[in-house]
Amino acid sequence: MNSTFQISREQMKELVSEGLRSGGDWCDLFFEYTSYTDLLLRDGQVGSGGSHVDYGCGVRVLSGEKTGYAYSESMDFDSLKAAARAAGAISESGKKQDFTQKAIIGTGTPDYYPAASDWRQSEASSFLPYLQKLENEIRKRDSRVAKVIAMLSYEVSEVMMYNSLDELTCDSRPLGSISVQLVCSQGDKTETMTSSRSFRYGPEMLTDSLISELAGNAVKGLDERFAARRPKGGRMKVVMGAGASGILLHEAMGHAFEADFNRKGQSIFAGKIGTRICRKGINIVDDATLTGNRGSCNYDDEGVPGQKTYMVTDGVLTSYLHDRISARFFNVSPTGNGRRESFRYNPIPRMRATYMESGSDGSCSDLIASVKKGIYVDQFSNGQVKIGEGDFTFYVKSGSLIENGRLTMPVKDINIIGNGPQALADIEAVASDLEIDNGTWTCGKEQSVPVSCGIPSVLIKNLTVGGE
Amino acid sequence: MELADFCLKTAKDKGATKARVTFSLSTEDLIATLNGKIDRITHCSDCSVSIALFVDGRFGSFSTNRLDHNSLEEFIGKSVNMTRMLEPDRFRDLPDPSRTEKGAVTGDELKLYDKEYLQMSPQRRKEIALKCSVFPSDGLVSEEGEYSDSVFETYVADTNGLRCLHRETSFDYGVEVTIEDAAGDKYSGYWWTSDSHFDGFHPECCGMRALENARAQIGAEAVESGKYNMVIDSEVSSKVVSPILKAINAYSLQQKNSFLTDSLGKRIFPEGVTLVDDARLEGQTGSKLFDSEGVSTPSDTIIDKGVIKKYFVNTYMSGKTGMEATVEEATRPHLLPWPAKGLDRDDILKLCGDGILVTEFNGGNSNSATGNFSYGIEGFLFKNGKIVKPVSGMLVTGNFISLWNSLIACGDDNRSCKSKLIPTLAFSNVDFSG
Repeated sequence: MNSTFQISREQMKELVSEGLRSGGDWCDLFFEYTSYTDLLLRDGQVGSGGSHVDYGCGVRVLSGEKTGYAYSESMDFDSLKAAARAAGAISESGKKQDFTQKAIIGTGTPDYYPAASDWRQSEASSFLPYLQKLENEIRKRDSRVAKVIAMLSYEVSEVMMYNSLDELTCDSRPLGSISVQLVCSQGDKTETMTSSRSFRYGPEMLTDSLISELAGNAVKGLDERFAARRPKGGRMKVVMGAGASGILLHEAMGHAFEADFNRKGQSIFAGKIGTRICRKGINIVDDATLTGNRGSCNYDDEGVPGQKTYMVTDGVLTSYLHDRISARFFNVSPTGNGRRESFRYNPIPRMRATYMESGSDGSCSDLIASVKKGIYVDQFSNGQVKIGEGDFTFYVKSGSLIENGRLTMPVKDINIIGNGPQALADIEAVASDLEIDNGTWTCGKEQSVPVSCGIPSVLIKNLTVGGE
Repeated sequence: MELADFCLKTAKDKGATKARVTFSLSTEDLIATLNGKIDRITHCSDCSVSIALFVDGRFGSFSTNRLDHNSLEEFIGKSVNMTRMLEPDRFRDLPDPSRTEKGAVTGDELKLYDKEYLQMSPQRRKEIALKCSVFPSDGLVSEEGEYSDSVFETYVADTNGLRCLHRETSFDYGVEVTIEDAAGDKYSGYWWTSDSHFDGFHPECCGMRALENARAQIGAEAVESGKYNMVIDSEVSSKVVSPILKAINAYSLQQKNSFLTDSLGKRIFPEGVTLVDDARLEGQTGSKLFDSEGVSTPSDTIIDKGVIKKYFVNTYMSGKTGMEATVEEATRPHLLPWPAKGLDRDDILKLCGDGILVTEFNGGNSNSATGNFSYGIEGFLFKNGKIVKPVSGMLVTGNFISLWNSLIACGDDNRSCKSKLIPTLAFSNVDFSG
């Protein structure tokens, strides 16, 4: 009997049988108990906060590639059986089929988020001083800071997964995040700045050095922001700085590698496994195995062990990102990308920590020095991509013009636009300075899941920059 | 309702001076199709409570979906204790009872609940989803459709005697298609519809409309950068209205993160801009009698002929800023037609002559402190009032105040199924680059 969910393995087996009563070839259960807490500092006070509990079980039945899904917020066995019957309605044939799948990669008991302590065992009051210290450090660093909003949130999700192969998997997932938003004034000018850090660790992640790092990052580049202007727009070379620029990789390329879009023929990369899509030497990875990373998973939400998946190897498209449905469709092993927001959602292929490995074309400075006229960007927000067309648009939070190999005028409030596959093909140089960005990245493809991203500095030969 | 009273009593018993509870109940059934066949069925049923606690001058906000009495009692006890750990904030309070809604008793005062919902069966849902499909069609690679029907209830109660119930049904259909042209390039198109009543729900045309949208994009490319008249289709025109609503919210104003600071009572926009809040219209999607605090949502004017008439100020922000309390946000904002009633998109294209019609925004952002914006766009180049070619890979850049001061026209063609009633808009002299 599992004490968190008050259910035995025999009862789970019975629920699976109920789900498959009308046919179908796969049934799985996803139990979740999430406790979430947040604390908010505004106007110098941690004057609001709260906690939130989400508890329930999702039941999925597959019949070929068709999905039936339902959930119960109660562990009452009759409610769970009703959910299983509702999900099982996807099967009308009455025929049971064997579920065959290529062997799952990865064994053992992974531990990619070894929390030293448990958020749930600590009093919220013990965390208040970190938010106050963060505000103090920020104000000490820059007198132009007019307003500070800082937020600490933390959660622990207990999940248990059981499926019709009689596989039982449990995971305990901590996630702590601290973020800050500043409003800064200089004369009659106002600018906003943001910074955040997020990790799958326990409360031990809260240290004075993390607070100092966050404070420094929040006001970094403020002089440039006040001096920044919109540049003249047009097509030009773009150097993307290491780290947070990786969100462009996530949005403009990563989504098109997700196997559901390829299974349905919607992705621009559909049918292109094994073809060269960018220059030799470029490797693009989606990784569940980075210790403490926000995107890491010991197991995905289908019970598949977390893995490091090479989507692009030496410039060649080598793998999509699979859940169990797409893996069966493409006759490959699942890659551990079946993820979901909560028990309320069925799993679909999602990214984890997506990054490009370091290249061998020198440093970021070398890339900038090679550009006669172009733009350097290091922070983006609000990216969007059209999966079929591959077209993307990203808002540039901070950057600078490049003129004759040097950074000159700071720029802001502009977009860069391009086409994902074309931008990949147009990468001319990759520096050796990969950085994983540990911000509070959340992917919103139908459901919200925590992810992270990273990239070394790269030079793209031709993107459109929107300006005056 | 009994459970709401139990929560409020428990909160006071545990030491809260005041409390508000909000129960949210919903049930949704969804049928998704892929290429004209059933792909996914989903049944969702949710019930949760959010509890706002006021304890010794402190404030906390909590929620749970474990609703048995024992779990609730333990949860509320812990929540009260956690609230005690926070710093005092003297401006946190429940709204004055004189401002709260008294007429939301049955939940159906706005006639947004359709009993036909109870007649929906699994078979009927499948039939609706399947009959909307346009697969196969010429060049169509993929068609994903989703039909859903749902019922949603909100019940808000507080220790000052507030009791408000809202209930509505919704019937929804959306479809996304992907097509491939002769060169192998892919284009996608989307369309949707929604209604609170089944007899007003007409999803049959969505697939063809999505297909037309995708086909119209074939051959799209950037045109020469420069200044153009910009017409924004009513489907996406709220993109340039939402930042205004955010900028006149007290949270933005108090945090000095608004490009409309000190604008109340001033003429900021041209005479053609009149924005009202039609919050209480019967049978209209998005109508609601109360906001999340239970405050009445009067139908009134937000911007009158370019003059800002209202800020959105909740109880907390009112105390904090000294501004008069209003409501948390616009419930159902409606931009009125100008310079004439009855104009649709075609009329406005003719009125403008030449320019770029924007039918989709693709990424981008705006700076809430300065009002500067930069958005990716897709749409069409038009000349002499007629569409001549599709446009993609372009950016539109500007500042919201100067953009609105170049207003040419507001149409009279907003879709009633949307919660923001913003029609086709036209502006002159807008920067496009590509």
